[in-house]
Amino acid sequence: MDSLIAASARALAAGDALGALKRVALRDDPPALALRGIAMAQLGEHPRARELLRRAARGFGAYEELARARCVVAEAEVALAMRDLGGTPRALAAAADTLEAHADHGNALQARLIAARKLLLLGRLDEAAAALALLDARGLPPSLAAVAELIAAELALRSLRTGPAQAALARAHEAAERARVPALLAEVAEARAALDRPAARRLSAGAEQTLRLDEVAALLASDALVVDACRRGVGAGDAWRPLARRPVLFALARALAEAWPGDVDRESLIAYAFNTRHPDETLRARLRVEIGRLRALVAPLAGIEATARGFVLKAQGDREVVVLAPPIDGDQASVLALLSDGAAWSTSALALALNASQRTVQRALAELEAEERVRSLGRARAQRWLAPPLTGFTTILLLPAALPIE
Amino acid sequence: MSSSKTSKDKTEVAARAAEIVREYGPFAGGASVAGVTYDGQRVWAATGASLVAFDPESGETARTLACAGDAGTAFDGTHLYQIAEARIDKIDPVTGTVLASIPAPGGGSDSGLTWAEGSLWVGQYRDRKIRQIDPATGAVLRTIESNRFVTGVTWVDGELWHGTWEGDESELRRIDPANGVVLARLEMPRGAGVSGLESDGADLFYCGGGDSGKVRAVRRPRATARS
Repeated sequence: MDSLIAASARALAAGDALGALKRVALRDDPPALALRGIAMAQLGEHPRARELLRRAARGFGAYEELARARCVVAEAEVALAMRDLGGTPRALAAAADTLEAHADHGNALQARLIAARKLLLLGRLDEAAAALALLDARGLPPSLAAVAELIAAELALRSLRTGPAQAALARAHEAAERARVPALLAEVAEARAALDRPAARRLSAGAEQTLRLDEVAALLASDALVVDACRRGVGAGDAWRPLARRPVLFALARALAEAWPGDVDRESLIAYAFNTRHPDETLRARLRVEIGRLRALVAPLAGIEATARGFVLKAQGDREVVVLAPPIDGDQASVLALLSDGAAWSTSALALALNASQRTVQRALAELEAEERVRSLGRARAQRWLAPPLTGFTTILLLPAALPIE
Repeated sequence: MSSSKTSKDKTEVAARAAEIVREYGPFAGGASVAGVTYDGQRVWAATGASLVAFDPESGETARTLACAGDAGTAFDGTHLYQIAEARIDKIDPVTGTVLASIPAPGGGSDSGLTWAEGSLWVGQYRDRKIRQIDPATGAVLRTIESNRFVTGVTWVDGELWHGTWEGDESELRRIDPANGVVLARLEMPRGAGVSGLESDGADLFYCGGGDSGKVRAVRRPRATARS
């Protein structure tokens, strides 16, 4: 390490990204490229940061594999900040192994946390949980401990275990305070605030009520028959009938549940499920077929009976029937749920995370943009989507702790 | 490690394992050691934001000067010289006042520093060079090429030694100041980097340990001491 690299690293560690940049701005040797990349990342210039870190990694010699591995980890963190979720996890895993072999446990852990966060953002919760469980958290620096607890909290939230989520967030908050990284504290505060925000709407017998996450969890744990418009399915207690791939059946179930305990006339069901205002005999016949299919699917949970003017849902015993809807309706809801992490997402990353086609996501985004509920940055392939208001910088660039790049 | 390096090493003398006699530090407030020097009684170590002097017998810190130090440190009998950013500061060791500054010859790519024969000798890390400069003006008087990254530089008994540090591999090397030919090699244990080098004028080298925050005392081989 030479003198300006050392001085630049010292400035970066003290949070002075511009000072760090100034000292190595005109240098193109690998350590200088790495420092420039990290400083640019901290200034929010992610594409440039990535390019610099890639060049730095290429520039280090074969015997400088430790420095190269640190660059790979830094680049992976920048990619995460850009919500670029493509690419293979292999390079990051190899870098983590290299760092471990060189006894750089802090950066090795950083690499594995990045991998876990990426799995989480892709909705691969089981893999993320497994990756988190493998981490050796002993002697974790507070900043990394806070990130690990945030991942644990997110995993708990996504499976609606609000108690463990709150406990993990409390530990994340405590660790973030010890780390004294403002961005990290802001992220923990944001996650805690999310617990108190409306997470869903409960529609029952004509009344509507917003629910917090813990209330959603309580509802799903209750005996009620829930037609879940968030996850697209019908459930009661432990029983669950997914209808995500049967949109017509789900539409019928939802219409019947919203009218419960009353019935719904055929014309309304046809209009709602088949999206037409002009019922004819073929549609009436088709309605009978689809109701028959739905009846067979939900038979263990509820019955569907014909009435004089249409159909009615009959819950078993004295079960209540509830529709659980996203805070807002439509494809847009799930898109907004992802964007609510405050980061910039590409259309393709959203499509990947939602397991939907890019066309579907684009349509939802266009509608949301027209309503000014999302905004976009950049053009063409560089276009990124954000939920307004932009609530801080959610990916924590902890890289000063990840120094020294020798 | 790599084949190209092995073939290059064939023309060089065989390496011996460095004998580490003692380790000092890490020092309070300093995460890493960038440069070391010896004033006849105490060892000085640049730890980024400050210069720390410690007693090599007891290992206890004797003095701390609030002087920035990012690379090599040297002592000319009266003053300390310290590389900070892209300059070399001349420092009063009693008060810590910076008396003068000259530009570092590498413009910030400088690593090691020592004083000998009225000149400052500066290692340029990735440039693999050692520069002899005029301590008053910073003018370059001579350039010696090495084939490794140069960290610390020191003169003892007419021998020019420098530290190298590439990846996990570090050595202390004695080179011919006329042509850069390697005359002796002391291999440090893997991962024990050499970020600064100074002789105590007798049997020991003091080596800055980079990120480890340590200073290591290494025995100077007897054979080369006599030659």
